[in-house]
Amino acid sequence: MATPKLGYLLKLPKFDHLEAKTIEEACSLLAKYKDKARVIAGGTDLLVSMKRREISPQYIINIKAIPNLDGISYSQKDGLLIGALTTLAAIESSPMIQERFPILSSAAHQTGPPHIRNVATIGGNLCNATPSADMAPSLIGLGAKAKIKGLKGERVVTVEQFFIGPGVSILQVGEILTEIQVPNPPSHTRGVYLKLPARTAIDIAVVGVAVVVTLDTKGVNIVDVKIVLGAVAPTPIRARQAEDIIKGKAADNELIEKAAQAAANEAKPISDVRGLASYRREIVKVLTNRALKQVTTHI
Amino acid sequence: MKQLIQLRVNGELHEVRVEPWKTLLEVIRDDIGLTSPKEACSTGECSACTVLVNGKPVNSCLVLAVEAQGKDILTIEGLSQGSELHPLQDAFIRHGAIQCGFCTPGMLLSAKALLDGNPKPTEEEIREAVSGNLCRCTGYNKIVEAILEVAQSQ
Repeated sequence: MATPKLGYLLKLPKFDHLEAKTIEEACSLLAKYKDKARVIAGGTDLLVSMKRREISPQYIINIKAIPNLDGISYSQKDGLLIGALTTLAAIESSPMIQERFPILSSAAHQTGPPHIRNVATIGGNLCNATPSADMAPSLIGLGAKAKIKGLKGERVVTVEQFFIGPGVSILQVGEILTEIQVPNPPSHTRGVYLKLPARTAIDIAVVGVAVVVTLDTKGVNIVDVKIVLGAVAPTPIRARQAEDIIKGKAADNELIEKAAQAAANEAKPISDVRGLASYRREIVKVLTNRALKQVTTHI
Repeated sequence: MKQLIQLRVNGELHEVRVEPWKTLLEVIRDDIGLTSPKEACSTGECSACTVLVNGKPVNSCLVLAVEAQGKDILTIEGLSQGSELHPLQDAFIRHGAIQCGFCTPGMLLSAKALLDGNPKPTEEEIREAVSGNLCRCTGYNKIVEAILEVAQSQ
């Protein structure tokens, strides 16, 4: 995607900045201005797209003054609730998330450098709906849901359903994402999110793989498994054939290799500046293999 | 079109009239006149524009000035006490952790935020804290050594 010639320093295009004080007000403004308006949360993706003139909305609707959209809570009954405006830094550093949902603190940590994580929100990461959204595979692996509010009321969809295509989420005009709901995983559940590149903090994922498994009480057979691939299809996707290969069985190296190969076959990667499709497919195999080994040993 | 906003920078309240599309970086440099935050990539990749907002490092090129009202903003001009250098500034000079100097304000502020929250970081934690700050002179080792020295001496 070529950057238009805009001079050496990229300036923002002109827009009106509107402050929504309530969810209803935000939804009304979005319904009124439709595709002329965009919501700003952290802004770390939105403002870059605007500077590059990929989008030039006339109205920016700030939702950060709306109360109760930012915060993390947990209960045995409801599981983990994360407000859409919660920053990735807050998710990464929450002792409760580190203890009970370590895959989420790890995924948040792997999203960009600290400067971005201090500002970027979990809601923004999902609503931009990039196939490489770093929080998505782990949330899908945990069976998380997204609470959406609009003028006609609220609805809840799975995070898996939330993604429709590159840059397109399930949100309709006049709707905003308000909360992520993560159910309590069954006991003997472990998850891991692996990403390439792992070294350089600022890079967008070439491939991301989340694996969440639940083992039986003996820690041998795989009772349930979700394998979720990021950045290798128009949306984050489940590798269901790979899951079926190992579900109900005791994982050994041979089975894990078969599942990893199946996951690679299920990926539908494109070739771009970050990697060739064939390379991405190979990396899916490597990361799926590595992730399955990590979560099925040393319970 | 312009809005009157109040920005607290280095403990001092500034009243400025800004357009909503101005970034915090542009307002700090062009309206308030503090030129330590640098603009290079404009897209949050290089962190030369780092300032601390409520104690945390952020890329000021990706923050709208109108949304920074009511927050405490720190630039490198607010780091030293008069002519007395901050220990990090002193260590950067002694270690030669400055070459062209373009990344230095951002590096120092990222390091300050780290040490404020974690006075005894490991080398790995230091490298993580400055992982978003690019140094095109590639003088990373001296920068990490300077931060490590301050951490060990405090």
